[in-house]
Amino acid sequence: MSRPWSRRSFVPLAGAALAGQNGCRPAPAVVRSAVAVLKAGSYAGDLADVIDRGVGLCGLDVRGRRVLLKPNLVEFDSTTSINTHPSVVAAAVEVFRRRGAEVLIGEGPGHRRDTMHLAEQAGYHASVAGFERLFIDLNRDDVSPLPQFGEHSEIYLPNSVLGVDLIVSMPKMKAHHWAGATLSMKNLFGVVPGAVYGWPKNFLHYVGIERSIVELNRHLRNTFAIVDGIVGMEGNGPIQGSPRQCGVLVMGRDLVAVDATCCRIMGIDPRRVRYLTMAAGLGQIEARHIDQRGEPPGAVRTDFRLTEPHQHLRLAG
Amino acid sequence: MAVPAASGSIDFLLRVQNPDGGWGYLPHKQSWLEPTALAMLALHELPGSAKALEKAWAAVRSWRRPDGGWRPCPSVDQSTWATSLAVTLHCVRGIYDSPFRQGIEWLARTRGQEGSWWKRVVNRLQPNLVEHDARLQGWPWLPANSSWVEPTAHALVALKKSLPDLKRSRAPLLPAVEARIEMAEKMMLDRRCADGGWNYGNKRVQDVTLPSYPETTALALLGLQGRPLPEVRTSLDWARGLYGRTNSRLARAWLAICLRNHGAVVDPPEPGAPTDDVLVAALEALGSPHGNFALLRTEWPAGRPHSASGGSAARRSAEETVTASSPQERP
Repeated sequence: MSRPWSRRSFVPLAGAALAGQNGCRPAPAVVRSAVAVLKAGSYAGDLADVIDRGVGLCGLDVRGRRVLLKPNLVEFDSTTSINTHPSVVAAAVEVFRRRGAEVLIGEGPGHRRDTMHLAEQAGYHASVAGFERLFIDLNRDDVSPLPQFGEHSEIYLPNSVLGVDLIVSMPKMKAHHWAGATLSMKNLFGVVPGAVYGWPKNFLHYVGIERSIVELNRHLRNTFAIVDGIVGMEGNGPIQGSPRQCGVLVMGRDLVAVDATCCRIMGIDPRRVRYLTMAAGLGQIEARHIDQRGEPPGAVRTDFRLTEPHQHLRLAG
Repeated sequence: MAVPAASGSIDFLLRVQNPDGGWGYLPHKQSWLEPTALAMLALHELPGSAKALEKAWAAVRSWRRPDGGWRPCPSVDQSTWATSLAVTLHCVRGIYDSPFRQGIEWLARTRGQEGSWWKRVVNRLQPNLVEHDARLQGWPWLPANSSWVEPTAHALVALKKSLPDLKRSRAPLLPAVEARIEMAEKMMLDRRCADGGWNYGNKRVQDVTLPSYPETTALALLGLQGRPLPEVRTSLDWARGLYGRTNSRLARAWLAICLRNHGAVVDPPEPGAPTDDVLVAALEALGSPHGNFALLRTEWPAGRPHSASGGSAARRSAEETVTASSPQERP
């Protein structure tokens, strides 16, 4: 279960108190973010147990809450690993229900119009009991405006997203040919409705990929992340890359910290990933500000192959 | 009056019309212009649908915005690609009034942003980022975005259907509309994937050849109706193959509509399970053997340089060469 205080979480606060004693202005206390890294060797294992432990380690209480699981469904290609594996989604449904939540699943793919067909190809119908009843195509949901998105006066988002208590971002751990990596924060692109913004959601590219990631995460704050890093994608992600066995599920409430941790696991320096540096005000990037639970990221580090333009992102050491 | 083969779909559409006159993507959901327009096309002139159509038409007209475009649904205050569907509905209903003209004007002035000078500079600096001719602009999903296949296909259908009226009335806009059609068709051909079909609009990204999708292949070929057959023959063959291979009901319905309008003989679809997807129901009704698929048929304007081999001549030729495979042939 979660630890309210640890030695590591106490150190920055103690430092701040000492600074105050020395007559300096005390630095604002850093709220450390818990991120759980748990080993999961394959999709055939007891993933519900792994996710349940991760949820517990992060101190998440979902009793009586309405939870939307947001997997990453992009395209289907049986030769690679583009989408969040359906076994991870099925396990999350089981865990959140067991913990007393009402569970929905929602996604709005960026290229394909027939979302249910895509989900079927990706194995969701076969793996997730009652999938059709749980699933909402976020591309075609009812929408409402939220004020201010970049330089735009508003963005329209699905009512199913705005109406839940918690959004669980469930991306696949992937290298990305524009952003460097696509993880729990960028996965929220899928909540932007295609019926307003199209297929692809080119509006987000014109706002700027990094800026859009930050803006979406600024708007959607009640979030949790479960990153499918059992088999990720390296190279030319998010679609044309190659599968990469990594053997972990990464979880946490602070999506910035989760993504920074995933980057360290993938051998990427999160301080060089632009969207993460832009999101510094939304969560923690620095390792010393992240309360790593479960496996230390260094112990499961699996360097993902990066395309040539992203070689500079490589984490030293 | 023809009785639609997809009478189950027709009954479903009549049953799930929203009180505001429109249709949602699913029953009892917010009305959107896309399912509303396609449901209206599916129901057009069918017995027992007049009242529903009048109510729907009133809704569509009320979704017009002051800039001449149409909002995609009542709660979104932005003109979008859905304007094309509204213009097509005007043509189908024979209503060529001021809102229709303003819709045409909106389409004529809305174009893909990739043609802007700074985008072209970026493309020149990184030529392998996406490989297409940025000078060829079609239509975006939203103003000030890039051109993509689906909104361009819908705009091509809408503008081609509006040409007879623009000519009849000697509209000053006619040359601009014809020029946009010409350029958008070139854009479509330029964005065609190596396999002969179309995806959302990128054939190659960062040196990787991308595959086409069945639904966008169908839409692109609808937009290209009237092009000389040699230009689209391989794509029609590809579409025919896709019709036999895909299990997506949405994609198969668009392919049936497309192939029928290109004069191909398309086997009736296997009877599918009842669907609660309004768009699929409307498209299946529209694309059924006795459906209203011809409402999306367009003629290449007479007098254009390649008109001799376009239009109905091309369709006759296509009929001889394209026969969509039966569902039994699906692997």
